[in-house]
Amino acid sequence: MSGYVPPTSTAAATTTTSTGEGRSVDYTCGDCNAAVSLKRGEPIRCRSCGHRVLYKQRTNRMVQFEAR
Amino acid sequence: MVGQAELDRRKIVGINAETVTNVTSTDFPGQWPGEDHSWDLDFFKRTFNVKFHSNDQFDSSFSLIGLDASVANAFRRILIAEVPTVAIEDIFVIHNTSIIQDEVLCHRMGLIPFRGSREGLRWMHWFQKGNDEDPEGSTHNDYNVCILNLQIECAWQAGGQMRAVNGETDPNKLYNNHNVYARDIIYEPTGQQITRFADDPVRAANPDILIAKLRPGQKINMRMYAMKGIGADHAKFSPVATASYRLLPTIDILKPIIGPDAEKFARCFPKGVIGLEPITREEGQREGSEYKGHEGEMKAVVEDTMRDTVSRECLRHAELKDKVKLGRVRDHFIFKVESTGQWESDELFLESVKLLKIKAQRMKRALAALMR
Ligand SMILES: [Zn+2]
Repeated sequence: MSGYVPPTSTAAATTTTSTGEGRSVDYTCGDCNAAVSLKRGEPIRCRSCGHRVLYKQRTNRMVQFEAR
Repeated sequence: MVGQAELDRRKIVGINAETVTNVTSTDFPGQWPGEDHSWDLDFFKRTFNVKFHSNDQFDSSFSLIGLDASVANAFRRILIAEVPTVAIEDIFVIHNTSIIQDEVLCHRMGLIPFRGSREGLRWMHWFQKGNDEDPEGSTHNDYNVCILNLQIECAWQAGGQMRAVNGETDPNKLYNNHNVYARDIIYEPTGQQITRFADDPVRAANPDILIAKLRPGQKINMRMYAMKGIGADHAKFSPVATASYRLLPTIDILKPIIGPDAEKFARCFPKGVIGLEPITREEGQREGSEYKGHEGEMKAVVEDTMRDTVSRECLRHAELKDKVKLGRVRDHFIFKVESTGQWESDELFLESVKLLKIKAQRMKRALAALMR
């Protein structure tokens, strides 16, 4: 036991790899809060409400702090 | 040989309207001609006295009577800065989408007091961080690190969204896990900790501390390492909410305070400090008595100086200020020890005595080494 060992799958947690076209990235709709998964080149638009503002999610990468 | 009255008088610190007199102690050798005030263990044993006023689990009050300010202050300082406790030190934030920033959240986590098996906490070793001399530092082990986890996610209650549309604003009726409390921190015992903390696991001393607020979709996921430390390093390790002392106040009524003046005098102090008593027939008729002719009227008497805050209010009134003398007893320390919850208050004080003893022994050894 020494230090923190991050989970191995951390680096690609928000991005899900799919075959062929490349990765898709998860966003959150700024209006209806639905999860939106976009691939490269797709229009930036919510699939359920059509809102055009999407928020990128926070990285799953671990950050270390001192509690001081 | 000086009388007891003179010795008692020397112990009183004078408190006037704007000044404080007779502040320093004089009971040391060479101060008074012909008197021996060298420190003597038998004399100390004979005169030293401890009196408990209240002794709740986390809040105790007691008097130490007959010791020097330097020693009383040493106990206070050791209580605040040198009695060790366990607190969160390193935090690994895996996820935090709450409104409160990582840095601020981690700082808050550090300040949460934790409790757990006394034996287990005593057994825990120090964790040495890497520094210039020892770049590696200690390794994380079951005997120097307690692992704690906080994993919580806020979500809508069943039908909560519908109620929100209809104008409901009470978070308790809309969401689950919207308040993150200290009780949500889960202890993960490792190695020897599994048996040592089996009956009394590490947990927040005050489970209702609000750490953060969440809204649906927000979550916190952190892994925390709690370690042993002392208050001198960081206030989060201090075992006391505060440890303080004050000197016992004295109130001497020099001339009788009678009638309406007595009531006014009593109002100058907190309740219970000054009482009113009727002047007896005997006092009122005695020839030469200051109470002569005042039979049946009320006079002010000192009831309990312990409750006094020494506001000096009575010295602001012309009709009262020459009839009273305020003071404090220099060697009567009224301690108040408020524990944060890891140790009990009286236990903490004994711990400070133990630490002072260790310091004295270390000093003695160092002096012996110097003489060799
Ligand atoms: Zn949408």
